[in-house]
Order: sequence, then C-alpha cells, then structure tokens
Amino acid sequence: MIGAALDRVFREAGGRIVAALASRFRDLTLAEDAFAEACRRALETWPATGMPNDAAAWLYSVAVRAGLDAVRRLHTAQRFAAGAEEAVAADIASDFDARLIPDERLRLIFVCCHPAIGAETRAALTLRLVCGLSALEIARAFLVSEKTLQQRLVRAKRKIAEAGVPFEVPGPSVWPGRLDAVLSTLEIAYAKAYEDAAGQGPYAAYAAEVLELSRLLVQLLPDEAEVWALAALARFTEARRPARLAVDGRMVPLAEQDPACWDRGLIEEAAVYLRRAAALDSRRPRVLQARLHAAWCARTRMADPPPWPQILALYDALLTVRDDAVVRLNRAVALAEVAGTETALAEVERLDACALADFAGYHAVRADLLRRLGRSDEACRAYDAAIALISTSAEQRWLVERRDALRS
Amino acid sequence: MQYALLLYEDESVYGPGKSGPEMRGIVARHIAFREELGATRLGGAGLAATASATTVRTTKGKQTVHDGPFAEIKEQLGGFYLIEAPDLDATIAIAKRVPVLRDGAVEIRPLLQIRE
Repeated sequence: MIGAALDRVFREAGGRIVAALASRFRDLTLAEDAFAEACRRALETWPATGMPNDAAAWLYSVAVRAGLDAVRRLHTAQRFAAGAEEAVAADIASDFDARLIPDERLRLIFVCCHPAIGAETRAALTLRLVCGLSALEIARAFLVSEKTLQQRLVRAKRKIAEAGVPFEVPGPSVWPGRLDAVLSTLEIAYAKAYEDAAGQGPYAAYAAEVLELSRLLVQLLPDEAEVWALAALARFTEARRPARLAVDGRMVPLAEQDPACWDRGLIEEAAVYLRRAAALDSRRPRVLQARLHAAWCARTRMADPPPWPQILALYDALLTVRDDAVVRLNRAVALAEVAGTETALAEVERLDACALADFAGYHAVRADLLRRLGRSDEACRAYDAAIALISTSAEQRWLVERRDALRS
Repeated sequence: MQYALLLYEDESVYGPGKSGPEMRGIVARHIAFREELGATRLGGAGLAATASATTVRTTKGKQTVHDGPFAEIKEQLGGFYLIEAPDLDATIAIAKRVPVLRDGAVEIRPLLQIRE
C-alpha cells in the first residue's frame, strides 16, 4: 500500500522536488541524493505513522534537511548552509504545504538541455531528473546498457557542476538557440518512445512521460508557438499508434492506416494545442509540422481521400523556413501523388546522395519511386540499402515484403 | 568562476611562422578585444607557431621529450585568454566575441579550483 502510494508521489512530485532542491543547493547530484534519502526515510516511517496529509511537502522538507546535512559533511562554502537553514525553518512551520515548494522545473529543464551537454544525454538527463524515470527505464529506451547510461548521467552532472552551467532560465538574447535545444531534447525523447510502435516494451509508459513533459512545458512557456506545436505534434503522432502495425507486426504506412483506429480524444487534444500555436505564429517550422499531422488526422475513414495536395502545400511552406534533405524527401513523397512519380524521382535524385548514404529514409523513398516506375533492379538495390540501415523491425518487415514482391 | 578560452585556428593562414600580413590584422583585433574585456580578462597570450613547440610526454612514469605540438590536428592552439565570468553562459557569450580570422574554435575550460 505505502509502496504504491509512495511510487505515485515520486512520479507526480519527484521532478518538482528535485528541481526545487537543485535550485536551492545548485548541485544536481546532491539534489538527487537528498531526494533519494527522503524517499528512504518515507519507506521507513510511513508504514508506522501513515502517509502525511501532504506527502510531497513532507518529502521535500525531509530532503532539504538531508541536503543540508550533506552540505555540512562536504564542508562546502558557508553561504549555502546559512540561507538554506532559515528556509527549512519556514518549511517546517508551513505544516507540509506542497504549494510552498518553489516550481523550479523550467530552470531544471534548461540546465538539463544546456548545449554544453551532448544531445542524447540531455534527453536522458531530463527524463531522469524532471520526469523521474529510472536509469534502467531510460537505458532500455536508448538501447544502451544501464551502466553506460549511469556513466553518461554522472558525467553530465559533473560537467554541469564543473563547467559552471548556471541554474537559470537564459536571457532573451540567447533564447532562440536554447529553447530549440529544449524542444529537440523532447523530440529525441519522443522519437525513442515512437520507435517501439507496439508500445508494449518495458517502457510502454515512456511516451506518456514525454506527452506530460510537453504539457508541462506549455504551462511554463505559454507564449512560445513552437512549444505548443511540439505538444500538438507528439499527440497527433501518438494518436496514430494503434494503427501503425499490421497483425503480423509489419509497419503500415500513414496513407494506408485505418483512421477509424486512431485515438480521436488525443487528436482533439492535439488540435487545441495546434490552434494556440498557430495563433501565436503559424509559420514556425514545428507549427507547420503539426499542421501536416493535423491534415492527416482530419481523415476519419479510409474512404476519405488522402490529403496529398494539402500536404504538398504545407511542405512547400516548410521548405521556406527549414530547407533540409529530410523535408525535401518527405515533400517528394507528396509530390509523387500530386505531380507524378517521375517528377518526384527527379527531385530526389537532385539531393546529395553522399550526404544521405546512411539515411534509411532516403533509400526507402527512392526504392518506392523506382518500383512505381517499373525500374525493379534499381528499386531492389535501394530496398537492400534501406533494409540494411533501418533500426526497427516493423519497418524492416515492411521493406522486405516490398522488395520480395518485386523479386518474385 | 575563472575560465581559459583556448583559441584553435589553422595557423597556416597567418603565413610561415605566423608572420604574414594577416597576422598584423588579427593582432590589432585582439588588442581591441583585450581593451573591451577590461577587468574580465585576467591574463592570456598568443603562442608562436607549432613548429616551435616541444612536448614533454609522460607514459607510465617515463618522460620523453618530443618535437612538435601535443596533437597534430587541422587546427592548432594559437593563444589563450584567462577570464573571470559568473558562469558558463556568460563565458560562451565572451567566447563568441573572440576574434577569429576564418574557421576556428574557442575551447572553454574552467580553471581548476583549488579548495583548502
């Protein structure tokens, strides 16, 4: 009983408590250790005393004391101890009111997503400290051993402390780059959850954590179009999860998915986020990407024609703000449907083949266009290249099936 | 905190032995930058070309002396600044203002803090 209740408190309030501790002590490792110590004491005392009325505030208060003890033991500068001690007195007098835990999660997110930390480690660190996922859960999602992930987390925390990464939300002058780092961290985190199409792996709850984090970010940064857009994007994508796999575990391409299987509730939620994003700035890259997903999700049954002309128009708009090979490749898929396969293939052949040699999507799109033009040998070779590079089994099965159909 | 800004550039763009005409231009810009930094700057220096470098390497307790810089790379350590700044973000902002002639990199390293 206590174990389950404690688990819920950890999940719901852990990020906020760790953020507040990190802000107070300016030390991520100390904050994490202090929170762990508070949880340990809760497990010891709650079975006898019962759960306190405000469990989160209890944990925070005990963690602050544990943190102060640690600071004293470390003999670090007096300045921490003096200020924090007064604050503890205030916490105890407040009779465990969680509303008095300062919400420092935005600062913590910006610290975890600092460009001085490697991109993949940023996502892991954010999920660990802000979402409270265990190192084992994150390690599974990132397909690395728990030991490797632990080492990365330790190294990142040490770097943050030693390099003097400030525990601040950065000022407006560096805002664009820094906010982008936060958003791409969330994208990396979501991409990891997305790879598990069946959503049945040991990290099935992982996508939900990322959706929750995107909702939190919207609350914390309500004036940023791309923050709303990312929350919309993740929801549109997640809504289609039930239709992404055929019964045999093969991937079902977007245009062939049965819209009746999509999660309408989540799509409506996404639409609300997108409306706000578009009202703030409808031309930002992530807003346009969310609009692409919205166009697809407007389909409610197989009889509705795929919205290819609208998709092409949105990719044209996206090209004006984000011109890269991935956008051009996706645009070519829509172009094939609107302007014909030859035109689309000509576009794809204009891309830098060397730069895209290791990108499975490039070979998969080329293969499909070549197949449609009846250039079977070239198509088979492109399928082979795509199959060799692809990392998920669902996509691999789909590509193998396409290739083998050509050979028979 | 105290940081070192380590300036890596392709030294060949400054001419043989770093005495080409482009060197005078960049030196003027560094002098101006030094003025700009004022009290933020604790120290620093430009370094002569890597051709003049000698490396003392210690491997398993045994010391050997080598001709040349520590690592042969496309860009070489050409100089450094020592600065005082409140945190990494402030230091990154300063590092972005360091004069660089063409391509190059500024590595930011906090100085070791010796606690008693």
